[in-house]
Amino acid sequence: MPAGQAVPRGPRTSRFALRPDERRSLGFILPFVLIELALVAGPLALGFYYSFFKVEYFQLTSFRGLDNYWRVITSPMVLGSIGATAIFSIVALGLTLTVGMALAVHLERDSRWNVAVRAVALVPYVISMLVGSLLLRWIFSTDAGFMAVVLGPIGLGDHSVLANPGSAMAALVFNAVWRDSAFAMIVLLAGLKSIPPSLYDAARVDGAGAFYRFRRITLPLMRLSILIAVVRLLIHFVNVLTFSLILTGGGPNGATRTTGLALYELGFVEFKLGDANALAILVFLFNLILVAFNLLLFRERRRAP
Amino acid sequence: MTIASSPVARPWRRRARSRSAINALINLVIAAFALAPILWGLSTSLKPTQDILVYPPQIVPERPTLEHYAMLFQTGIQTPIINSVIVSVGAVLLSLGIGAIAAYAIARLPFRGKTVLIFFIVALMSIPLPSLIVPTFTFLANVHLSNSLTGLILLYSAYQIPFVVWILYSYFLSLPIELENAALIDGYSRFQTLRKVVLPLSGPGLVASGLFVVTFAWNDFVVAVAMISSGESKTLPVAIYGYLGFYGRDWGPLTAAAIISILPVIAVFVFFQRYFLTGMTSGGTKS
Repeated sequence: MPAGQAVPRGPRTSRFALRPDERRSLGFILPFVLIELALVAGPLALGFYYSFFKVEYFQLTSFRGLDNYWRVITSPMVLGSIGATAIFSIVALGLTLTVGMALAVHLERDSRWNVAVRAVALVPYVISMLVGSLLLRWIFSTDAGFMAVVLGPIGLGDHSVLANPGSAMAALVFNAVWRDSAFAMIVLLAGLKSIPPSLYDAARVDGAGAFYRFRRITLPLMRLSILIAVVRLLIHFVNVLTFSLILTGGGPNGATRTTGLALYELGFVEFKLGDANALAILVFLFNLILVAFNLLLFRERRRAP
Repeated sequence: MTIASSPVARPWRRRARSRSAINALINLVIAAFALAPILWGLSTSLKPTQDILVYPPQIVPERPTLEHYAMLFQTGIQTPIINSVIVSVGAVLLSLGIGAIAAYAIARLPFRGKTVLIFFIVALMSIPLPSLIVPTFTFLANVHLSNSLTGLILLYSAYQIPFVVWILYSYFLSLPIELENAALIDGYSRFQTLRKVVLPLSGPGLVASGLFVVTFAWNDFVVAVAMISSGESKTLPVAIYGYLGFYGRDWGPLTAAAIISILPVIAVFVFFQRYFLTGMTSGGTKS
């Protein structure tokens, strides 16, 4: 095309040929696209490639086909971690949502006090996950004497929370509820505030009680926010690494080893990069399902008025 | 409704008062639940070593001391702190630079495939980082960027630019387009318009997205612990993880390091609270 000559709508040679104005637009988004391709897509592609090989100190020694995948999904460590992750995710999701919803309902009005309390509730979420889990590990340790004071009255003064599989899992769930309830609250508040108050007034005039109003007005109208909170919390819980690495170290006896932790140990403790990449790809594929749900919800929210 | 304020309705008022007392009590419980672990850590960090393990525990340190903090600084916690500052600043500059330009294009410039790009951004925001660290380490080690702060800055930018683009995109859309049109008529290029007209008006959007990146880079443990192994490039969270192995059950220095890590975040959060919410409601997960 000769320079400077405007061609209003010439016959397009290809559907994918760039219009001049598009060429400039693409220049604007190119750095962004490149860095994502290089540092998100690139590693995934390389990891996918590595997952078919036996890897020793970064040397691809022999092609193994799907052997790594098979070994990973049949290993007791990984299978155990999937069970632990499932228990953790389901219980943590239920409790975090419940507490988040209670916080949202309690702090719905934008009074000065409520805004301040919301901020305080968010503190565990904004600080580093590592530090949060570290501080909880200190509280739950027998050395601190903190749990002995709390559990003493019910006769469990000597109980070591982190040394017992059941209570270690409970501590892990506590970590999640402590950190993420306020996050759920923020997501749910958005939905709560979009409900017109006139609906409640009308229901009150009709004699509906508080519980009935919550079940018949609040919950149905918050469907989208609740689903968004569920999906976003699940993505986070299913992949959790910091909680289990710092708070419980996966113990006792692997009872709290989540899949994220198993992945970390395969890659960075045992240095089995072939197996670790195979598991990473499997976990990533599972995540894609959750991400797809997130996208569906995103589309629905965009369409909503 | 004015019933509550009329003098006849005394019982109403009493009920309102007891209700607000209950509300205050609930608020207190919420605050205690959220802050107890942090305050307990702060208290521990201020106790001399021999007081930390006494039973029953002292809630408030009886003989407060800064010895653990002093010890950390004598043994060189400055290096990881400086590393964390470098990584945070680098990641903010890079992500705001690349992110602002991309966000402007999506908000104002025409191109096909914009909807697809927006969906990719939302997908990128929701990819959980723990599932990426093994392939990413494999990749960085191959291009010799593992164990370097540069590698970390690039990774943090890649993970946070989608959030920056998202926040700034909606912010740019909210600006009046007339100013930009005037600038374009005056002969500014698109890039000049962005730099001289749009960005000066985008303070709140830049602060919101910048804070989001800074807190992520300062707090991140998962990515850094996988990429960094040598002492001199450790960021603060990785160094604290190292202390956990080194000090074991010596909780004085451990809690002191924890408090050093969270104090700046809490200070920033208190001052810029509303900006944080902009980032949080933007549709992704941060872990």
